[in-house]
Amino acid sequence: MNALRLELRVAVAVARKDALAELRGRHATVSTLFFAAIVLLLFGFALGPDAARLAAAAPGFLWLAVVFAGILAVNRLHLLETDDDAMEQLALYPVSRRAIYAGKALGGFAVMLLIGIVVLGAVGILFAVDIASAWLPLSTAVVLGALGVAAVGTFYAGLTVRLRAREVMLPLLMLPVLAPLLLGAVKATTAAIAGDPFGELGAWLQLMAAFDLVMLVAGAATYGFLLED
Amino acid sequence: MPQTTIYVSPRSVGAPDSRPPAVDTTDLARLFAGSPALAGVSLRIDAGRTVALLGANGAGKTTLLRILTTAIAPSYGRACVDGLDVGRDPHLVRERVAYLSHATGMYDDLTARENLAFAATMLGTPDAEQRVERALADVGLAQRSGDRVRGFSAGMRKRLALGRILLGNASLVLLDEPYATLDADGMGIVDQLLAAWHQVGVTVLVASHTTDRLEAFVDGRVILERGLIAAASGHGVVSAPPSLPADSRPALREVAQ
Repeated sequence: MNALRLELRVAVAVARKDALAELRGRHATVSTLFFAAIVLLLFGFALGPDAARLAAAAPGFLWLAVVFAGILAVNRLHLLETDDDAMEQLALYPVSRRAIYAGKALGGFAVMLLIGIVVLGAVGILFAVDIASAWLPLSTAVVLGALGVAAVGTFYAGLTVRLRAREVMLPLLMLPVLAPLLLGAVKATTAAIAGDPFGELGAWLQLMAAFDLVMLVAGAATYGFLLED
Repeated sequence: MPQTTIYVSPRSVGAPDSRPPAVDTTDLARLFAGSPALAGVSLRIDAGRTVALLGANGAGKTTLLRILTTAIAPSYGRACVDGLDVGRDPHLVRERVAYLSHATGMYDDLTARENLAFAATMLGTPDAEQRVERALADVGLAQRSGDRVRGFSAGMRKRLALGRILLGNASLVLLDEPYATLDADGMGIVDQLLAAWHQVGVTVLVASHTTDRLEAFVDGRVILERGLIAAASGHGVVSAPPSLPADSRPALREVAQ
């Protein structure tokens, strides 16, 4: 119990440190949110002015924008560790690697949640989708989606942060792994917006929750190897 | 300058004879891209000693220190800290070792105080708030504690890294070129810390190019040359020639011979 409390304290300290640095980091979060908004706008332009088509494609656009912006966000959270080789110092602290992963993932989750909420609102406005009537299932999908991207992104950002080609490698590694989450998130969002006519919403949300659980456990178990020589 | 506060680990208390060697390596070697940075170092340093690790650039000083911190793994051989193998018990070794490296590992967008507060949590420092303030004062950064590290000079960053060491209660302190980038006051702080650590029985291994300033503090000297011990002398320092295993890589054998 004591060990668990200690790990929790370490995780919160890592997340708090990341959040502080992110908030002061030259408006990086705002840039990421603008990037997500531009992605949405470009998708909209590509599909044309047909309102029905835009509304039908909105769940896909929503989650692609969240994932693309998420890749930038989790990468940046790990780039903090390249300040004066902070990653090595982080690895030398006598704390559990699981706690460090949990802290990084928690920080990533907070940023992803913000991105998810803003992008969801933007989708509602840009594509005339009624999100207010389905706010509860949509919120659940955003929370689960944010958690999944943070869980996967934290691991792969840790893997690629020391590579010169990290900007290319991170999406190459992350996107295929995120495919099941993306599928579940798009299906859940579509079902939620339509009022869940086929009663499938719960199953898609469960798929997302299961994905998150598997990725969090796998990340916590293996992140320590990324910190070793 | 206020009196520096060293928090003594229970491991550092007692006669050095009753404690296992602080550092004990056998045929320690490390290759980088096939080239040996360390080529078979067998060295024992008794607990409580202050030892200078000398040698030219590329002699293997930093590599030896980084293996002892667990930052990198040995390619061959074995290294123990306080009787604990760095490969088998890295977590326990990390509890015992403090390291001042060339890179300070500080976060640019956090203030000096926030950086040390984070380190205090990671080190499990009791009375963290008080200890952080004391450490900032000890390294002469109390006036700049609310400033972001991004605006700090290299010397100020090094002072802050020394402050981080004061938050833990390591029984082995590893310092890599501690005087580099420091002004006269900063060098005085290092002198004061070396004297304080020696007094309370903390083992200190200081890597340096020169001995001039260190002479007053060290019990022993180890000179490295091309990854091997060229000479070792003084109290509490014992070295042995390498006896590398037959499966050592040719590059390593060549240097060892």
